Amino acid sequence: MIKISNLEKYYKTEEVQTIALNKLSFEIKEGEFAAIMGPSGCGKSTLLNILGLLDDPDGGSYLFNGIEVAGYNERKRAQLRKHNIGFVFQSFNLIDELSVFENVELPLIYTGVKTAERKERVHQVLEKMGIMHRRKHFPQQLSGGQQQRVAVARAVVNNPKLILADEPTGNLDSSNGNEVMDLLTELNEAGTTIIMVTHSEHDAKFSHRIIRMLDGQKVTENVLV
Amino acid sequence: MFRNYFKIAWRNLWNNKLFSLINVISLAIGLSASFVIGMMVYYDFTFDKFHTDGDRIYRVTTQFNDPEGDYFSSGIPFPLVDAVKNEVSGLETAAFFHQFTSVNVKPTGTKDLFKQQDFVVFTDQGYFDLFDYYWLAGSAQKTLSQPNEVVLTEARAKLYFPNLSPSQVMGKTLNYNDSIPAVVTGVVANFAERSDLVFQEFLSLDTASQTNIHHQISGNNWYGVYNSSQLWIKIEKGTLLNNFQAQLDDIAGKHQMEEDLKFGSSREFYSQPLNNLHFNSELGIYDPDKAVADKDVLTMLGLVAMFLLLLGCANFINLNTAQASKRAKEIGIRKTLGSSKGQLIFQFLGETFLLTLIAGAVSIILSMWLIRIFEDFIADGIDISLLMNPVILLSIGTLLVIVTIAAGFYPGIVLSKFNPVRVLKGKHTEAGGKNQLRKFLTVFQFTIAFVFIISTFLVGKQIGFLINKDMGFKTESVAFIETPHYVSSLADQELLSQKLANLSQLKKVSLGGQSPASFDQSATAFVSNYDGIERETSVRLLFGDTEYLDLYEIPLLAGRKPLNDTIKEVVINTKALEKMGFDDPNEAVNQTVTSGGVPYLITGVMADFNQGSLRKEIEPMAFVGDMWRSFSSAFQVIHFNISTENYEDLTTTLADVESMYKEVYPNEPIDLKFMDETILTFYKKEQSMSKLLNWAMGLSVLISCLGLLGLVIYTTERRVKEIGIRKVLGASIVQINTLLCKDFVILIFIAFVIAIPIAYWALDNWLQDFANRTELSWWIFAGSGIAMILLALIIMSIRTIATAMADPVKSLRTE
Ligand SMILES: Nc1ncnc2c1ncn2[C@@H]1O[C@H](COP(=O)(O)OP(=O)(O)O)[C@@H](O)[C@H]1O
Ligand SMILES: [Mg+2]
Repeated sequence: MIKISNLEKYYKTEEVQTIALNKLSFEIKEGEFAAIMGPSGCGKSTLLNILGLLDDPDGGSYLFNGIEVAGYNERKRAQLRKHNIGFVFQSFNLIDELSVFENVELPLIYTGVKTAERKERVHQVLEKMGIMHRRKHFPQQLSGGQQQRVAVARAVVNNPKLILADEPTGNLDSSNGNEVMDLLTELNEAGTTIIMVTHSEHDAKFSHRIIRMLDGQKVTENVLV
Repeated sequence: MFRNYFKIAWRNLWNNKLFSLINVISLAIGLSASFVIGMMVYYDFTFDKFHTDGDRIYRVTTQFNDPEGDYFSSGIPFPLVDAVKNEVSGLETAAFFHQFTSVNVKPTGTKDLFKQQDFVVFTDQGYFDLFDYYWLAGSAQKTLSQPNEVVLTEARAKLYFPNLSPSQVMGKTLNYNDSIPAVVTGVVANFAERSDLVFQEFLSLDTASQTNIHHQISGNNWYGVYNSSQLWIKIEKGTLLNNFQAQLDDIAGKHQMEEDLKFGSSREFYSQPLNNLHFNSELGIYDPDKAVADKDVLTMLGLVAMFLLLLGCANFINLNTAQASKRAKEIGIRKTLGSSKGQLIFQFLGETFLLTLIAGAVSIILSMWLIRIFEDFIADGIDISLLMNPVILLSIGTLLVIVTIAAGFYPGIVLSKFNPVRVLKGKHTEAGGKNQLRKFLTVFQFTIAFVFIISTFLVGKQIGFLINKDMGFKTESVAFIETPHYVSSLADQELLSQKLANLSQLKKVSLGGQSPASFDQSATAFVSNYDGIERETSVRLLFGDTEYLDLYEIPLLAGRKPLNDTIKEVVINTKALEKMGFDDPNEAVNQTVTSGGVPYLITGVMADFNQGSLRKEIEPMAFVGDMWRSFSSAFQVIHFNISTENYEDLTTTLADVESMYKEVYPNEPIDLKFMDETILTFYKKEQSMSKLLNWAMGLSVLISCLGLLGLVIYTTERRVKEIGIRKVLGASIVQINTLLCKDFVILIFIAFVIAIPIAYWALDNWLQDFANRTELSWWIFAGSGIAMILLALIIMSIRTIATAMADPVKSLRTE
């Protein structure tokens, strides 16, 4: 599903140039659950942003479902992204001014789903995530675990083929963290490809394969299953 | 999708109540000004739009070209009517009418007498051929063909015969000025739409020979042009006005006055389009109580409204770009989830529209109030119900959309540009990068505010200067009575003036024409022959008896007063002296000038004084007795000088004066005016301009300061942590306050520097219209600058001092 080769990304700040990704290559198959680990600053988030089509690589190739997307313009990337990819962030990134229901509804709005169907689908995921009773609350009124469940609900409401999660449990305690990991596992078992960045060896064990990075390069790969 | 946008828009407005309030107020001020001014424009441009073939209807008017300046008359010489009807081709209809002013009307068979009725004309069938009236009784065919016939409008018919229907009014008789009977032969409906054709009573033209103005509408006098003689024409379909105008020019050429040509004057006839009637102040409209619409005033008002709107938009842009980073997260998330830039801009424009809509609703309420404040500028027919007019509604809708785009587009672009990757990392892209624009807009706002402030002060100063400047004659404790000369005779005026002279509280009494400074003016031309050069000088005439000059304390520079009221002697002023070619007052004394061939002896020279608004130059003037008495007496006003010291005396004196007046004119109301109050009325236009400027200044300062307050709140919020650290390190409140205010004061100062030349240029231009000008003093500029900066400092300090005094530990902990 995803094949990157010699992927490069640089950041230029005044005089220093940082190499965030240094000729990185790997492949991820449909239905896989991959964990990416590595020390802070090694380029994990940068990689995830590129995989999620939020950012553009400076070099190398990125095949998404066999299509070369490196060099796609912003509009085309947005088009591809909204139909295929869901995001879960460490800091949840919910819109504070919208209720739980409205936050989860957003991706459906952008893909043009009709009102009645939106309502039904949002209710389905909220039930699945166990936050139906909170649908009228605003993010600030929820605990961290609940907020992350809303974020996951929002990531999956569109039935994306790929979910990218950047340290999804980073801001949660262990019981809430486990809940989120269970949710992701469940989604994966239902067929969704998942790529997750994490610092926790515990969480990484939920995945099929761990890709370890250092200074923008892949160092090892452990296949768990 | 819309619901979602709407919800977030509403919540955003609600959560930022203060900023929303600032935005709504700022926009509402500009919008309401635009609404009211838009209504005025619509009102003035919808006069006489309903006439069939209105674009082919013209009024023939007269233009006198004179070396001393052109003069326009809405009337024409009577023989032109026949000339146009008989000699001119390409005309569909020609309608002549002559206004018969201030007539007393008595419906026979009733006890009522209607005094001084206006809008009565002598006319014929042609009038009704040209203008479409709906006939409630009678018909347009063969109407007004006989003497002593009259057609009434429905309103007049109701006034004279309240209980009769139009058809019952037919055949009734009205008696005009106690002497001329006329039978009602038709009743027409009043125009339902706005019109300057305000006539109400149409007497047959043949009736005019029975009146005292018969000489104005008969004979073959090409030289006399009466404003009340009006000729309207409709050119044939498909013909050009040029074709008609060329024939008019021919006729004008054939009938020039030899005498005029000798002095370089000539006369032309000019066709004024119907749609120009409402706007031509030179030619005027028929209702003396209504003002001619002034396109300059409308433009000026439009500019004020536009500036106020721009100020409001500037506030909106400033506050929203400043706050953009608050919304960065929302936008980052929306983009991640697939929103395109276009969608985001659209969303933001939607929010702006919502806010504009709220401002629009507020403006409608404000408009009602504005209409009252600007009543000097606003015609009576305008009220808030005009807002329901479809054209106006559509314009308002368009305006709201334009404002939405002007205010919301740029902030929308700024917001939509946020890079989601960086935003979601918590690295808020600092919208402060767009600071340049905010600085520019702030400078722009305060520049406008400064221009208004400086103008307000200067216009105020100029008006004070005009009002307080010495007129050159006595204005205090002088009053005059305009006698009802139209119903009385010279003997009555003389009787009253003798009675008043016996009143001990009146120092001097004089019978004469108008006061030395008045709107009403008579003029004539004197031909002088000095140094072998024949000169014609047009002079304003000041009529009065031998007491007049003494009463007004007008000094003589040489010679003496005329010996009596009717002797052919004149006293000229210095301006006339120069025009006539004399170098010295003493040279002029005992010289003879002629007017219409009649010789007049110059017996003296009087000092120049102002003859009206000081806006105008002093004109050549001659003081004369009742020089046209045999034809028509000019002695219609009785002037007197009251010698009382205190207010009670004044009231009793005035009561005495009135009782004497009643002895002479028992049925006429007294029309008494004080000279000093009359002078104030010369400056009505300036006064209302000053009022407008006061408001424009107040509102522009208000909007700019609101915007400033918003920006200060935003910057202090953003710098809370910095302020905390500085305080921990020992900065004083004053130091912190200075730090926070400095940048804004610099911007305001820059605005001041930019405003100075603009205001100077505009005001210098404005002052050029005045013959008497106050100085553009430096202190007006300096004072305005200091006042504005002080005000800004006070407003900023409200916020900054509170921030500076806040507990630093708290602000540091929250980060
Ligand atoms: N927007 C940016 N500008 C400059 N440098 C950046 C930016 N984003 C990331 N970097 C740099 O790129 C490197 C990789 O960052 P990141 O992908 O965030 O690492 P990780 O998520 O693994 O902690 C780091 O050295 C970081 O400082
Ligand atoms: Mg990271």
